[in-house]
Amino acid sequence: MPTTHAKRTLAYLGTVLLTILLAPYASANPSCTDARQDCVVPGKWNFSLSLGAGLRINPIDDGKNIPLIVIPQFSYYGKRFFIDNLDAGVTLFENDASTLNFVASPSYDRVYFVRSDLQNFFVPSGSNAFSIAHNPRDSLQHGFTSGSTALPLPRPRISYLAGPEWSFTIANLTGQVDILHEFTGNFHGEEIRSALQIPLIKSTYNLNAGMGVTWKSAALVNYYYGGGPLYRPGSALNPFLKIGYQRPLSGKWSFTAFAHYEYLGSAIAKSPYIARAQVLTFFAGFVYNH
Amino acid sequence: MNRHNLIFWGLLSLTSTLGYHYSYAANDAGVELSVSPRVCTLTSGDKQCATSVHAQWSSPTPESLCLVIVGRPEIKHCWEHYAEGTYSIDLIFDEDQIFQLRDLPLEHVLATAAVRVIKEAVRLRHRRRDPWNVFN
Repeated sequence: MPTTHAKRTLAYLGTVLLTILLAPYASANPSCTDARQDCVVPGKWNFSLSLGAGLRINPIDDGKNIPLIVIPQFSYYGKRFFIDNLDAGVTLFENDASTLNFVASPSYDRVYFVRSDLQNFFVPSGSNAFSIAHNPRDSLQHGFTSGSTALPLPRPRISYLAGPEWSFTIANLTGQVDILHEFTGNFHGEEIRSALQIPLIKSTYNLNAGMGVTWKSAALVNYYYGGGPLYRPGSALNPFLKIGYQRPLSGKWSFTAFAHYEYLGSAIAKSPYIARAQVLTFFAGFVYNH
Repeated sequence: MNRHNLIFWGLLSLTSTLGYHYSYAANDAGVELSVSPRVCTLTSGDKQCATSVHAQWSSPTPESLCLVIVGRPEIKHCWEHYAEGTYSIDLIFDEDQIFQLRDLPLEHVLATAAVRVIKEAVRLRHRRRDPWNVFN
């Protein structure tokens, strides 16, 4: 009788195989024949720097919100290898409509607890970039008690996840599915990231809407949000919505603004470390692209 | 003028005419021009070639000629009564550069050589599609 871990591994590998088989089947899109915004010249580093004003609302009770003033971004695309901020990967298959990568990406939940985590500066995801609560919580919620001693915040290690990433374009919609498994040996959990971007307006400026959901396995949720014997959570499903605006200005400058709203799944929201189930991130500023 | 004189002057005229053309053609055939480098390759990151071009010519007989570059009237270097010559110049260009040896009035082309520009085809790739990223 296979163990739970073996079943999970088999399910993961099966999904990976299904992703690989289904990846090529998507409708065509204009080819990458000129250096447009979504096409790049291999072998070059790309940098951008955003200067503006924004905030990440901290759902931790009495936690400090994180201001967003300067947001650096960088990427490198080789013939197959790529670096995209703190993510890295290899492109296994690519055509005009579909791309299959094998990608490694940090587990973003650490930014809840460690202010110096790089993802608090590179802003890769809207779900997890909160400032840490330097002070332990004064009390626990959801019926957990610790007597007179507050539950100290954990300090999780840097964890990286890896797995296949399928992105596709159908008509004007852009979709993405990542099936990731933690390989740094901290919790052996899984995360599935999925998103869909819908262009609303495309003229002298672009207005895009996005939606998605992130599934986090029980092992991942427990590693970050578990409270030892007091709280052993299961898996969590975090849906999100976002809207973004971009307007090219003169030369290498553009203006951007976005708002990102995420709802934390109950297994996370009920954690003794979390006070609010909603996460809001917004920013508006000028971007310089090099 | 008797018939012999006519034949003599006719043959002399014909010989002179043919000789002139022959020598001119021989000059055309005899003057050799070469340039180095012969090819400049532009990669995807290059916009122009910037290199020193060395031209070298030789002739079996002393010649008076000028070296010019097509499309660059400011560049001209002449030799008078030389059987060989060299010339080097730093150039910046993104199209083929045609070097010519011409006579002193610049009316006739005696020899031609070129520095060819080869542009490598840039193969673009898609940027990573990442709608899950809050900043995309």
